[in-house]
Amino acid sequence: MIRTYRALFVAQLQSASQYRVQSVLWMLLEVVRPVIFLAAWVAVANAQGGRVGTYDVRDFAAYYISLTFVLQIVFSWNAYDFEFEVRQGRLSPKLLRPLHPIHYAIVENVVWKLTTFIPLLICLVIVALTFDVRFRTTPAHLLLFVPSVALGAALSFLSGWVVATTAFWTTRVHAVSTLWDRGVFIFAGMIAPLALLPGFLQTLSLALPFGYMLGVPAEILRGGVDIQTALVLMGGQAIWVVIFYVAYQRVWRAGVRQYSAVGA
Amino acid sequence: MTRYVRLLRLFFSTELQYELEYRTNLVLDIVQTIVIMVTSIGAILVLFSYTDVLNGWNLGAMLVLLGCFYLVQGFGELILAPSFEKFMEHVRLGTLDFALLKPVSAQFLVTLRQFRVTNLAQMALGGVVIAVGLGRLPSVGISEGLGFAVALLCGFVLVYALLLALSTLAFWFVRVDNLMALYWAFLDAGRFPVDIYPGWLRVTLSSAVPIGVAVTVPAQVISGRLDFFGLAALVAGTLVAFVLASRFWHIGLRSYTGASA
Amino acid sequence: MTEAVVDVRELRKTFRVTEREEGLAATLRSFVKRHRKDVNAVAGITFRIEPGEVVGFLGPNGAGKTTTLKMLSGLLHPSAGEARVLEFVPWRRESAYLKKMTLLMGNRSQLVWDIPAADSFRVLQEIYRVPDEQFRATLAELTDLLELQDLVHKPVRNLSLGERMKVEFAAGLIHSPSVAFLDEPTIGLDVSMQVRIRRFVAEYNRRTGATILLTSHYMDDVVALCKRVIVIHRGRLLYDGPLADLAERMAPYKVIVVTLHNGAAATTDLAGYGNVVAADEGRVTLRVDRHVAPERTARLVNDLGDRLADISVEDPAMEEVIDRVFTSEQTTVSA
Repeated sequence: MIRTYRALFVAQLQSASQYRVQSVLWMLLEVVRPVIFLAAWVAVANAQGGRVGTYDVRDFAAYYISLTFVLQIVFSWNAYDFEFEVRQGRLSPKLLRPLHPIHYAIVENVVWKLTTFIPLLICLVIVALTFDVRFRTTPAHLLLFVPSVALGAALSFLSGWVVATTAFWTTRVHAVSTLWDRGVFIFAGMIAPLALLPGFLQTLSLALPFGYMLGVPAEILRGGVDIQTALVLMGGQAIWVVIFYVAYQRVWRAGVRQYSAVGA
Repeated sequence: MTRYVRLLRLFFSTELQYELEYRTNLVLDIVQTIVIMVTSIGAILVLFSYTDVLNGWNLGAMLVLLGCFYLVQGFGELILAPSFEKFMEHVRLGTLDFALLKPVSAQFLVTLRQFRVTNLAQMALGGVVIAVGLGRLPSVGISEGLGFAVALLCGFVLVYALLLALSTLAFWFVRVDNLMALYWAFLDAGRFPVDIYPGWLRVTLSSAVPIGVAVTVPAQVISGRLDFFGLAALVAGTLVAFVLASRFWHIGLRSYTGASA
Repeated sequence: MTEAVVDVRELRKTFRVTEREEGLAATLRSFVKRHRKDVNAVAGITFRIEPGEVVGFLGPNGAGKTTTLKMLSGLLHPSAGEARVLEFVPWRRESAYLKKMTLLMGNRSQLVWDIPAADSFRVLQEIYRVPDEQFRATLAELTDLLELQDLVHKPVRNLSLGERMKVEFAAGLIHSPSVAFLDEPTIGLDVSMQVRIRRFVAEYNRRTGATILLTSHYMDDVVALCKRVIVIHRGRLLYDGPLADLAERMAPYKVIVVTLHNGAAATTDLAGYGNVVAADEGRVTLRVDRHVAPERTARLVNDLGDRLADISVEDPAMEEVIDRVFTSEQTTVSA
């Protein structure tokens, strides 16, 4: 398995080197949205005398920079690629190989993140300087951040994969993934730090998986929650990861059966 | 000129016929548009639960801005983005040649060819949101309405110029599918008034990549926040952008056909 | 003398390409130093084509045929030289010129895939400003000649390759051009469709008098349609003249195929009659100089008597002729 992964890695690195510019462009698209909302919240804070709740302008900057960083590590785009492959009939050859297609996706995902890492850091430094950021992170937070963001990435990848698998049953994956994306938009901590979402929305965000992908690791990174809360939230992450792992197994098996029955 | 209008009508009607055959897709697209807009409005409401005013914009004005955003984005998705995506595909596949050999302006044939009619829904809903926003503002006069129409038209042309310039890169770097990502990124920044962005970003969004201007100014006009000179500056800037972008595109075309500089 | 439809003088096209060897080391090196090379795609060709001619462009891949066609249609600016088509300078792409010409590329489609061809025709009518009457008449004729009745109302996506080619032809001719450039028009089609397309092109030329320039890999295309061929190799014009003469010039031999009765083959040696090219199971293929072919044939019949089962005298296969043209060291061979 290690050898397979290494081979996949090398191949993917070679092909990624051809798409350097495109990868960076894609990354820029991801960076823009958090910056937009950061600017918006700063404007709100300024209108309210410099802070909103427990967040002042510099806290917002720290939050959104953390969010962007987490987004980069956690981001996955399986649904789109997968739907494309199913429609183009390119999935069939992959199914015939003795390697689960998910491994290709994992490698592609990781390689992209590696290749866009440096450009991303540059962008984040620029934003940090522009907004005069202040982090409240302690070493304990950093320690917790590593497993937290890993859980977030796993959660994002697996849930994305489950959404993508609907391509086996419907050609309208786009509709499904749009709904999912909007869920992420509202509840993952993009439009507002989770703590600032009004009442019922906040409750929902803790019940739904979205927040555990982005918002939780982001808050841990910036030091916005104390250690106990962080551990509890990470527990929530772990639960959702398990749920989606099981879901992925079930849905994939059913989907492949469906696909072969219909005629790949 | 009438020929070009006739051609546009033909392009639109053939695409409409095609899309009407896929009723479920049509319905789903409209539902998706509604979902997206409702969540966007939700985002604004969350912000406004903490304040009455955002950089001088109250909720009514912000709604107007959001509506303008969807009008401009909708227009881009209605005809510009599909056409430009098609153009980049043509360059890649070598089928651009056919467009160059037609006795019609190549720029027209390439940049205004492909409609995606479902995006009319986005524009219509954008109009609805504007109306809702206007309801919360003092009444609007004829001059504001007219200024709005002019500013909006300028907005459409600015988006065209941006896409034209971006897609010209396809002549040199054949694989530029993710250039559209850049376009969407810039466009996304237009959902908030351009003045909330810090210095360098605001300047970029008002000049080099005039998306901020394309969306903010119409909103400013109709909510009575812009004077005549601002509007005149917009019109002038739009014309300049259009001419520059078209020149750039033709330079790309000359390079493609091997014409010496 | 009639005005030539196509008048080409010393046309040249040179491309600058970057070359890179494979492998990681070479990739890194090329970051720093780009290795550029000039490729002479077309190295100075001259010819004229009269109205109504159907001329074939022959040449191996990379010979410069498509590049020449692109310059004549107006898609490429030449590096040097002149060309006029219908009195126009093609690469100016003047509206008046574009209305009189058409370019059809065998492996590329100009039709919109998702909509029926009929809709695309309607758009083309508008683009070329074809008057309604003429449009209807031309469409009727093309539908008839190409058997398009069932095809034009289906989305192009749903047509087979051959059907798509027919519809592409119609789209390319809907504005009744007087010059047609056909680039590999029968590529990828099955044999019967190739025959049909050839018949169509010949008939179209006969009915409308349109001048046709066609490039092709398939000898059969050229043999069926073109009385005159222009042979291009490595960007140079090797031959310009009647197809028949080409064989005579480049391959001045005849092929005599002798079939012997069972048993006679092993004991009969025909090396004295000519060049033995192939000999298996009683079939001996000889290559004989053209001039002496009749006399050798007579001798063979005489000498072999009842050992002979069959004998035939043929021209060399066109492919062989062309192959000889390309591999020969000769430069321009005038007609």
